Amino acid sequence: MTDVMMPDQQELVPAGRDAWRMFLRNRAAVAGLIMFFGILFMTFFGPMLYDEDPNDIVARPFLEPGTEGAPAMGTDYLGRDVLAGVINGGSTTLTVAAIAAVMIVAIGVTIGALAGFYGGTVDTVLMRFTEFFQVLPALLFAMVVVTLFEPSARTISIAIGLVLWPSLARLTRAEFLRLRNLEFVKAARAIGSTDLRIISRVIFPNALPPLIVSTTLVMGAAILFEAGLAFLGLGDPNTLSWGLMIGLNRGNFLNAWWTVTFPGLAIFITVLSFSLIGDGLQDAFNPKLRGR
Amino acid sequence: MANSDPPLLSVRELTVTFDAFTAVDRVSFDLHEGQTLAVVGESGSGKSVTALSIMRLVELGTRGRITGGEILFRLPDGAVIDLIQQSESVMRDMRGNNISMIFQEPLTSLNPVYTVGNQVAEAVMLHQGLDRAEAMDRALEVFELVRIPEARQRLGEYPHQLSGGMRQRVMIAMALSCDPTVLIADEPTTALDVTIQAQILGLMRELQNETNAAVIIITHDMGVVAEVADDVVVMNQSRVVEQGSVYDIFERPAEPYTRALLASVPQLGSMAGRDEPARFDLVGEA
Amino acid sequence: MRTAAAKIAQSLGLILAVIVLNFSLIHLAPGDPAVVIAGESGAASPETLAQVRADYGLDKPFVTQLGIYVGQVARGDLGESFFFGRSVTSLIADRLWPTVLLVGTALIFAIVLGVMAGTFTARRPESPASHAVTVLALIGYSMPVFWTGILLVILFASVLKILPISGMHDVEFDGGLLASWLDVARHLVLPALTLGVIYLAQYSRLSRASMLEVLQSDYIRTARAKGLAEKVVVYKHALRNAVIPVVTIAGLQFGALLSGALLVETVFNWPGLGRLAFDSILRRDTPVLLGVLLMAAVMVVVANLLTDLLYRVIDPRIRVGARRTRTKVST
Repeated sequence: MTDVMMPDQQELVPAGRDAWRMFLRNRAAVAGLIMFFGILFMTFFGPMLYDEDPNDIVARPFLEPGTEGAPAMGTDYLGRDVLAGVINGGSTTLTVAAIAAVMIVAIGVTIGALAGFYGGTVDTVLMRFTEFFQVLPALLFAMVVVTLFEPSARTISIAIGLVLWPSLARLTRAEFLRLRNLEFVKAARAIGSTDLRIISRVIFPNALPPLIVSTTLVMGAAILFEAGLAFLGLGDPNTLSWGLMIGLNRGNFLNAWWTVTFPGLAIFITVLSFSLIGDGLQDAFNPKLRGR
Repeated sequence: MANSDPPLLSVRELTVTFDAFTAVDRVSFDLHEGQTLAVVGESGSGKSVTALSIMRLVELGTRGRITGGEILFRLPDGAVIDLIQQSESVMRDMRGNNISMIFQEPLTSLNPVYTVGNQVAEAVMLHQGLDRAEAMDRALEVFELVRIPEARQRLGEYPHQLSGGMRQRVMIAMALSCDPTVLIADEPTTALDVTIQAQILGLMRELQNETNAAVIIITHDMGVVAEVADDVVVMNQSRVVEQGSVYDIFERPAEPYTRALLASVPQLGSMAGRDEPARFDLVGEA
Repeated sequence: MRTAAAKIAQSLGLILAVIVLNFSLIHLAPGDPAVVIAGESGAASPETLAQVRADYGLDKPFVTQLGIYVGQVARGDLGESFFFGRSVTSLIADRLWPTVLLVGTALIFAIVLGVMAGTFTARRPESPASHAVTVLALIGYSMPVFWTGILLVILFASVLKILPISGMHDVEFDGGLLASWLDVARHLVLPALTLGVIYLAQYSRLSRASMLEVLQSDYIRTARAKGLAEKVVVYKHALRNAVIPVVTIAGLQFGALLSGALLVETVFNWPGLGRLAFDSILRRDTPVLLGVLLMAAVMVVVANLLTDLLYRVIDPRIRVGARRTRTKVST
């Protein structure tokens, strides 16, 4: 049954291998990919290579990098090693962002797909629901949730997942609206495929390219979000993260620029890598829009 | 059509390139006062690029460059200038004033955010130095000239409120608003319904009788050629392959390409049952 | 197109939904709702809690409680901040203006400069400036806003000592009205710049793409064929069409802009709603926090209504309905 509709599907999805080749020819995108793997490597292998506990007091407080006895990135207000913090601070951020991204995609794609596929009342109701979440100022809502419930990695992931899905839902809906009346979907209907099958096996694969791009960008947004919450002191109090490091050193950064600059740089590079990859994917899937 | 007067517009050896591709290759033809010249060919034959070159619009908004030839234009005072050599500011004075142009897509050729009256008056204010109120009066005049019903009310409407045929009439009104000596129509009826096509072509012929402007009509449709043209230039793959009077072209096409174009005309409408071109009756002319 | 009345009704519905959400959060939170409402992290006296239970009818059925809560909020009663000993409504009213000022300035800065940069670079798509817009947009989007703010503070505190880096007024300030405005304006520069620069980057990229597309359209060719000067073609005919997507995105992003303002206010000690919300978390002052959430939602709703209004001004296809049946709305 599936075989009947395969040729049509293949025409619509840009050939994966071509897109991949386009992507690799894009220097900025490859730089993003390298940055991303660099951050991953640092986060998961760094602690083995640089064996310093980020919570240990290793020297006097506020040692500037480059001064005698200072670690590579200096020490913070308690005399902890900033480099150790940067190396160990990524795992919370990346984990929270990954869990949140899974939630965002699950909620956003489901709601968008149902709204776009069924249209009519289903669409109206689901889009009102989406609009409601778009009206909520995301960070404030997440702050309230984290304050009222316990500030654990789980709560934070859920809070982020709850607020960032609407844009993905809108995109999915638009793609489904566009695709649902095309010939190969009609063909699938004609041979009696169920709705679930048409949504998940016929339309969804064709809507994938823009959704992949959007998911990449949403990962970046989730990281910024986690960092913002942690900066405000609403992160998991038991684990170190880049945002928390900046928040903790907030009172002292005028005398100790390095305590906030390096963790911030880590967040920036991570988000930038997702932006570059997302941009590269966009160009690879849709060469016409290149450079826009 | 033999004509001993010096031509109004003379395109000589015009060559236009897009990067490495030659879109127009040494194209030459003459246009005389009161004449309707059809430039025919398939899409990609270089006919539209030729039209845009006369307006010197290829360099604005496309990647094309005029790389050779001359476009000699006779001004109302008799002086002859080469349009290719003119500065952008001289060309701006010519465009919409001495030479004007209408385009294929009436649906997208008008700016959606301004009223049609405004868009017509804009050209009048620019070229004739009239104030707004006078320019709107002129716009009303040309709206009536192109037989737009309830013209005064239409002036204040936006393009999306008008039908395709009405929008093309607005485009024609805009083109005629400054009494040009040359009107270039690039596929003016292609995007319209068949009945509207006949109306617009009829209107253009009537207007030509009234204004005596010379017309270049760019088309791929030999049916349109038969209905409106005096002379024909046939283009294929960037070059002129044949030119002559409309009767010569239809009766004794020399080139196989011209014969192929003729063979593709559906023998319907005003051509039904005939092999020769014939003008259909003018709309509203009893 | 939806009529204005329907649009306003829908907005009121959204605000009602946020009130219901607040109510649900109070009841979903672990612990006694009375304690949540009272705030103070359970340190409230038994008399206070009894008072709260009576005010909010917490011994009554759930639906009645919801009715009481919605009724109170609708009357403008958002409860009492026990920390300040003042009504939440008056607290929020005090802090609203600074936030509106910050967000409004940042937004106008980002849109005006972004559209200008986008237009400039769209006319020269291969120029270095054009590539710079793409690069800067990526960088601007990827910088955490609080980090940008901190870097600016470091820069202006240690190197360029020309602008205040904290607060909204000078402590020892004394002068007339105009001088006081100038004082606020000086304090506003850095926070507004921090918040605006992210969106400036995004909007310049967006308007560049939009302008590139508009400049390829048929009506631009028509405008040129009329003999209009390139300036008129770009600034009269293209610009108005090119800003439409920028307005759309700006409207959609207003909630995100407010979230950013919250972080910026914290960095620069700007006495707005974000700072109030942050302090309320530290003080466990829940009524204030929920009040700010509601107020922020109202601001987003109002911003959306204004966007809609602006749309009607810019685009007659929305303003003027189709009059004849044969009319086709082009996209």
